[in-house]
Amino acid sequence: MTTNPATQLEGKVALVTGAARGIGFGIATVLAERGSQVAICDLSDDASAEAAEELASAGHSAMGIATDVTDRDSLDAAVERIIENYGRIDILVANAGVWASTGYEDRPEYNDADWDITHSVNVRGVVHSAEAVIPHMQERGTGRIVNIASHGGRKPRGVATGRTLGFPYIVSKAGVIQWTHGLAIEMAPYNITVNAVCPGELWTNMIQGIYTNRRNVSDALSDGGISDDFRVSMENTVPLGRGQTPRDIGHAVAFLASDDAAEITGQALNVNGGAKMN
Amino acid sequence: MTDATNLDGAITLITGAGRGIGQGIAEVLSERGAVIAMSDLDADAALVASTAINANGGQSVPFGGDTTSQESMDGLAAAVIEVFGRIDILVCNAGVIGAPGYQDRMEHTEEDWDATFGVNVKGFVHTANAVSPHMRERNSGRVVNISSHGGRKPRGAKAVLGNIQAPYSVSKAAVIQWTHLLAIELGSNNITVNAVCPGVLWTPLWEKIAQNRITADPSLAEFTPREIFEQSVKERMPMGREQTPRDIGKAVAFLASDDASEITGQALNVNGGAVMN
Repeated sequence: MTTNPATQLEGKVALVTGAARGIGFGIATVLAERGSQVAICDLSDDASAEAAEELASAGHSAMGIATDVTDRDSLDAAVERIIENYGRIDILVANAGVWASTGYEDRPEYNDADWDITHSVNVRGVVHSAEAVIPHMQERGTGRIVNIASHGGRKPRGVATGRTLGFPYIVSKAGVIQWTHGLAIEMAPYNITVNAVCPGELWTNMIQGIYTNRRNVSDALSDGGISDDFRVSMENTVPLGRGQTPRDIGHAVAFLASDDAAEITGQALNVNGGAKMN
Repeated sequence: MTDATNLDGAITLITGAGRGIGQGIAEVLSERGAVIAMSDLDADAALVASTAINANGGQSVPFGGDTTSQESMDGLAAAVIEVFGRIDILVCNAGVIGAPGYQDRMEHTEEDWDATFGVNVKGFVHTANAVSPHMRERNSGRVVNISSHGGRKPRGAKAVLGNIQAPYSVSKAAVIQWTHLLAIELGSNNITVNAVCPGVLWTPLWEKIAQNRITADPSLAEFTPREIFEQSVKERMPMGREQTPRDIGKAVAFLASDDASEITGQALNVNGGAVMN
């Protein structure tokens, strides 16, 4: 039984939230390349449609659905449309997330709005996504849920910097990991596995905002711009010396969603070049 | 496009490949296209396992090898490189649960500590020492260490299996820590180092534990050891299933593939959710 590169997820139907760009689009792309039909669920109608169109033009099957993960009704409607269109959902990737509330770029410290939005999107959004899909998966007695957390949700270490802006985010991502553990136990009797992938740092819109903020509120890491800051930071903090890409995260999701991972549940897997280890 | 399971032509050295988990890893990697150097202290077992893989269309060569000896591992690495030209993937798997006769004890002995440290910890160090200079030179390589979910934090109110597994669990925790450290050490050479932590598999130890329970509790007399094992798995494992050597092989195949090029220093439980990290 030699496996064919293109058939790891042949015929599966995947719902990916926050899939129009960044990590979510990287995941959607890899899942599509491995044979999945993919529902791109993103807050923006246009962005969802454009991302689905991009996958379709590469010969994959994809549909775009405007979805607000903070609104359970929006997710229920999305799930209904996907099942109408593709007949089922085999894989849920709860990826949609935010770093902080708008206007954070010049703040070193968190505010109440940061706690609210990270909890609402990163925690409750992941919970809503699962709740909307679980009854369907339970009925079929099969399913794969992969939550995108962050290695920031693992135990921190280091010395004080005075920059607490990221606290609400890392607390929310720790919440995603704990939710993954708890849900895995509840879903195991239904043959549904629940795992998390914890990305390290990727050169996405989110990380560009983070490095812009860092430069604005403390000393620059390099003589260049934020991309140089990022490179220097990766060289200094990551054993493999580099940042990750959205496709790297997609590869780990594809594995956890595949038959090969049938005995893996409740686990969080860092994809971060070894920057934190668990 | 790469596939999580595509290991075409990858030269893979597996220790303890003659039986059990090591044999399962060899089978899966072989099916995914890898060429396997199957090392085992029991050279006859390596030969039988290798013959079976080759009869199934795979490509493998059996080797002896005593992981407790640095010289033996240096010789093994040199022999594998002589035969195949290189080593792309190293799977450190050879392990022991205790000193000989452990199946008949519920309490650990000095010898159990020596055996588990000698094989499970120093054996992995010797094997990595033998292969890593070659991987550093090529600026490429994958190391996967087989630990155990027993090497993660324990929990529970009482030791239902006695303390015979303590030396083993401590040694497997050390394998995880060794994995973390080696990942940092080899990261700048583009070599990833990860661990897989298997859960519960049907092994001679489990058979003995089940037999001991039946002997101690007359109400269990009507059950076979296998039935006792299955009941325990249902009670302790969220997914309600045991794992198989092939399940472990699939996780190793992923960590050894291009798909896992950004994953290093991690330990991955393959245990149906019995312990979570």
